[in-house]
Amino acid sequence: MVPGMSQHTPNDPIRKPDAEPPDELSFGFRRVAAGQKAELVKQVFDRVAGRYDLMNDLMSAGIHRLWKRALIDRLDPRPGEALIDVAGGTGDIAFKALARARTRTDAGCHVTVCDINESMLQVGRNRAVDRTLVTGLDWVCGNAEALPFDNARFDAYTIAFGIRNVTHLDRALCEAYRVLKPGGRFLCLEFSSVVLPGLDRLYDLYSFNVIPRLGQWVTGDADSYQYLVESIRRFPGQRRFATMMEQAGFRQVSFRNMTGGVVALHCGWRI
Amino acid sequence: MSEQHTPPGTELDPKLLEILVCPVTKGPLNYDRERGELISEKAGLAYPVRDGIPIMLVDEARKIDD
Repeated sequence: MVPGMSQHTPNDPIRKPDAEPPDELSFGFRRVAAGQKAELVKQVFDRVAGRYDLMNDLMSAGIHRLWKRALIDRLDPRPGEALIDVAGGTGDIAFKALARARTRTDAGCHVTVCDINESMLQVGRNRAVDRTLVTGLDWVCGNAEALPFDNARFDAYTIAFGIRNVTHLDRALCEAYRVLKPGGRFLCLEFSSVVLPGLDRLYDLYSFNVIPRLGQWVTGDADSYQYLVESIRRFPGQRRFATMMEQAGFRQVSFRNMTGGVVALHCGWRI
Repeated sequence: MSEQHTPPGTELDPKLLEILVCPVTKGPLNYDRERGELISEKAGLAYPVRDGIPIMLVDEARKIDD
């Protein structure tokens, strides 16, 4: 332990609560009605869509690229596979998965990008056109809690920094399970609970002081980035999320901490 | 949000149509090319296709009157 540093206690406002009343949910640290959260999240991403990937680079000093590379390594997309990337509107994960599969053969894989936010999808689709990526990609606006896809259609489901924003985590996990083929894999990259003593306090200082100001400077919108850092603190820790995955039916559930637990890569299989 | 629908007659990828279902009923959808809508008869909802992107959200769907 670093002198003067302490673990957060359960009463620390930065810690997340264990349970929430069913009719009320967290929107960052604010309490909102369950029906309201989706709309508030939508407004956040409508506001930041155009500069979303740039902000990711600035906030994480480019480290988010390493986290995403670890996701793609673990995903290991094979030619001919059908992948679904949820909440990946700007196409970041989809483009990386396509590129990785094409290193094997020209055939590549197929990625269906599903995001609840139309603005984010438009950014991704335009970017695909700029990169002359026309085959192997579909863009669908849909809700992770009520996916508009038939049962057992995908070989892998990915969600990177998106599941935190859904209203009901359990429903999103059940839907992920439903659309996966038996033998399909679920991969989730998400901000998690810092496990390195000392890093936690530094991370808090950075998150609550630097990120909203950076957001204000780059996107003209500090509130959206205040929401971002608050929602990260509300998200269940590694073990609790792993349990939720098991409750949704996933097996061989595991996680790997990255950057001292700032981010965790969660994996599970539909058997 | 723009209300611009996909131009009439626009084709959606048949492979995408094959896996798309109504998010409410998980039942089949019929693509109405003229209106650029995906129809879920069971739910009585028509989901718009905007700029080639199917918008599969209940809040964005048009209620179909019988």
